[in-house]
Amino acid sequence: MNNLFSIFIAMAIVNNMVLAKFLGLCPFFGVSKKLSNAISMGIAVTFVMLLASVSTTVIYNYLLVPFHVEFMRIVLYILVIASLVQIVELTIRRTNIILYNALGIYLPLITTNCAVLGIALINSQESYNVLQSTISSLGAGVGFSLVLIIMSGIRETLDLGESPESMKGLPIAFITAALLAMAFMGFSGMV
Amino acid sequence: MSVIWIVIILSAIGLVSGILIFIVNKVLPREPESLKRAEQVAQYLPGYNCGACGYPGCFAYAQAAAEDKDIITKNPCATVLQDESMLSGIEEALGLEIDTSQMNKKAVVHCYGVTVPLGDYEGIKTCDAANSLVGGFKRCSYGCLGFGDCAVVCPQDAITIDEVRNVAVVDPDKCTGCGLCINQCSKGIIELVPADSNIVFRCSYESLKDIPGRERCDEGCLHCRKCFKACEHDAIIWNREKGIPEFDFSKCIMCGECIEACPHNRLIELKNVVPHKPALKK
Repeated sequence: MNNLFSIFIAMAIVNNMVLAKFLGLCPFFGVSKKLSNAISMGIAVTFVMLLASVSTTVIYNYLLVPFHVEFMRIVLYILVIASLVQIVELTIRRTNIILYNALGIYLPLITTNCAVLGIALINSQESYNVLQSTISSLGAGVGFSLVLIIMSGIRETLDLGESPESMKGLPIAFITAALLAMAFMGFSGMV
Repeated sequence: MSVIWIVIILSAIGLVSGILIFIVNKVLPREPESLKRAEQVAQYLPGYNCGACGYPGCFAYAQAAAEDKDIITKNPCATVLQDESMLSGIEEALGLEIDTSQMNKKAVVHCYGVTVPLGDYEGIKTCDAANSLVGGFKRCSYGCLGFGDCAVVCPQDAITIDEVRNVAVVDPDKCTGCGLCINQCSKGIIELVPADSNIVFRCSYESLKDIPGRERCDEGCLHCRKCFKACEHDAIIWNREKGIPEFDFSKCIMCGECIEACPHNRLIELKNVVPHKPALKK
């Protein structure tokens, strides 16, 4: 139990996907302009991460390891994640068109989100079992959403304030992200 | 040996994924027919998501249009009306003919500018902010403030600020008549008129307590009613409360009589025509 909790905290805060591992930066900068978008993107990414890491761990532990073909995992994971996102997209589209429109371009963006592939690869690197990888992906998703929400809050406030003309928009966002990453360095060594 | 396993595992997982997607596709309810039509319509919409049609974005408009075809004529999208290919695409997608003759509009600013400032304005450089301080900084409290709030919202960049006269100028060739600037204008002096009309009344000054517009602005309306009297087609309605003429474009035949009658050479303006010499004289 203690072990699972520390995996969760480690993935959510200490080894945060965005600020410590620098994965998934494109949705991080693309979707963090508005708080509402950030929240729905965070939920969507967490959901896909959960699905992806459970299925990839099953494939890794029960298919790749017994046949000694672990080196093929990147190709396989891309295949699995791409089809998972297809299924999720189809389901949302058929069942809730309003949510589908609200997510819009971000849904396909999840397919190309390196954080999803990253969490699957980390799970197999650490040889987690299914339960452990579920918790670790949940932690990664929560950490991703947390950072996205913090960042969108900061950027919404930044838009209201006056920043120098040449710094408006992405430049100031990159600087903010760097400062945030430095702040998150304070957590290192915690777990 | 591992090569064979790779091939087997890869194809197996690919096959399983394919079958899974197939099953999900079969099991889930079909999407309604109107959604497909909405997507077809949305292809031909401009995608600005400006909201000028009254719907929150182009896709919402397309969905509404797919369910009720009258939406296209009731709440027309101004950009589509200007673009032949978009219009024909939507006509094809919805299977109807759209008569655009009455629908094209353009924005006009009811102000000629040039009114004298009361003093230097040092505040936030937006019309809204300036207007909230005792109604602006100009002698004419109805006139355009010239900070270009309307120019900022215009998706077509059709509005520019004339630096000399300090007034917003609409380029009628670029304007699609979406009407976003109307909501933005804190003075409320922008109006939509039929796109083919050439008559523009360039003043909003209301005649209060016999102060003629000239006291406030060199180009202001004199409220003399000569245009009203000159119009033989009842196309000019005299607004008694405000003391300014209003146009009924369904009756106006663009004869130019009102322009000739106006003693003030820019008050009623005919596009591309020198005032007092209307080319469209009957």
